[in-house]
Amino acid sequence: MKTHKLFDNGSHTWLMFGRDEEKPEQIIDTNQYIVITKNNALLMDPGGIELFSAMLSAVIKQVPANKITHLFASHQDPDIISSLGLWDQALPSATLHSPWLWESFIRHFGMHNIHYAAIPDEGNSLKLDSVTLDFIPAHYLHSSGNFNVYDSKAKILMSGDIGAALETVEAPLFVEDFDDHIDKMKMFHQRWMPSNKAKNDWVQRVRKLDIDMMCPQHGRIFKGDNVKRFLDWFEALEVGLINKGSN
Amino acid sequence: MSEASTNYFVCVAEIAAKLDQATHIAQQLSLTASNARAVALRAGERAAGFRPLTDFIDRLAEITISSSKKINLLASRLSQTSADKVRADDAIEHFHAVYIKAKNSPYISSLDSQLMRCESVQEDLNRKYRRQIDQLSDELAMLSNELRNAVILATLSRVEASQAGSEYQEALINVADNVEGAAGKIKEHIKYSQQMVSILEEY
Ligand SMILES: [Fe+2]
Ligand SMILES: [Fe+2]
Repeated sequence: MKTHKLFDNGSHTWLMFGRDEEKPEQIIDTNQYIVITKNNALLMDPGGIELFSAMLSAVIKQVPANKITHLFASHQDPDIISSLGLWDQALPSATLHSPWLWESFIRHFGMHNIHYAAIPDEGNSLKLDSVTLDFIPAHYLHSSGNFNVYDSKAKILMSGDIGAALETVEAPLFVEDFDDHIDKMKMFHQRWMPSNKAKNDWVQRVRKLDIDMMCPQHGRIFKGDNVKRFLDWFEALEVGLINKGSN
Repeated sequence: MSEASTNYFVCVAEIAAKLDQATHIAQQLSLTASNARAVALRAGERAAGFRPLTDFIDRLAEITISSSKKINLLASRLSQTSADKVRADDAIEHFHAVYIKAKNSPYISSLDSQLMRCESVQEDLNRKYRRQIDQLSDELAMLSNELRNAVILATLSRVEASQAGSEYQEALINVADNVEGAAGKIKEHIKYSQQMVSILEEY
């Protein structure tokens, strides 16, 4: 598991964990993110059960366990949060922020100690020391209850499955040539995302945000102008398709 | 580890299934008792000795049903404890992997208190597991003991049947056979369950 620093301004740090070479071949590669503030840390989309010990090992190199006070799960998928039962043993007094829609489902992963903070459909915010993180609605992209995390100071949007690309663990961290990258994203967005209306609604909402980096849960990070390129491409893309020959 | 844990879930589930079957047989047994009571009534004075036996058959059915219920409850508690035990064992195993992978981390000791907590939970669960196994095994032994009375009951029923006169004799002998047959089948289920318990005791 590799660790990359994405942002650091003295008051807080963003790190990305991913490109895990030891992960079993059949499971999708995932990016995990953490925001570390003075006394707290928020771990986002902590990943699948298969990844837990690699993740905890990587995280514990950066912060002590008792500083990880908050977890976030953008939605209910196993690659997002099936490790919950083990985090529940490791961080018994943490709070999990996740869509209200999925509470009774996510609890199936095993949650006896961690507190579930249900995010309402319209989203809300979390204050970590001096840093405010916004949970931005991204419903039906692809999950019917789904949020992004936005940090207006770092200008980072953690976009979950939006912007995801299916790639190998050797893939670079950042999108280099946007047009080249389209091939790796197209099928994922068309096949997993069901609603053009929800998609366009999200594009409108996100266009209003000041974003330097858009960080998906799979694949590469979009930086600078590539963020706008992604929004334009995504807006024009027709989703909710089963299209065998295309991709 | 994972193979053993699958086994204990399977063993516990098999015990519950066997006792479910025992309950069904006991329900039939109580039907047998009420039929026998009707026959004995019709046979009148000559079957007077048979009537108290039907109460004993009833009692045997009742004990089997209530004891099976109890064993089922114990088995489902044991299954829950097994699941908790697997979860605790699993977490500890993962923590140990982290201690190796992140041994140079300045924060590695921040996991110590959680590991200790998990280990103490694991010990509690191990004790609970032993205790529940013992309860299960005691209850099975108790039921098996009760069923020994079935042989005596069947013998007495046959003696009484032979005095009830030819018209009712066959029906009452049939009752005796039913009691003996049912008890035999239930005993087999108990014996099998006891074998499962002895497998569980090894974990
Ligand atoms: Fe997903
Ligand atoms: Fe995903």
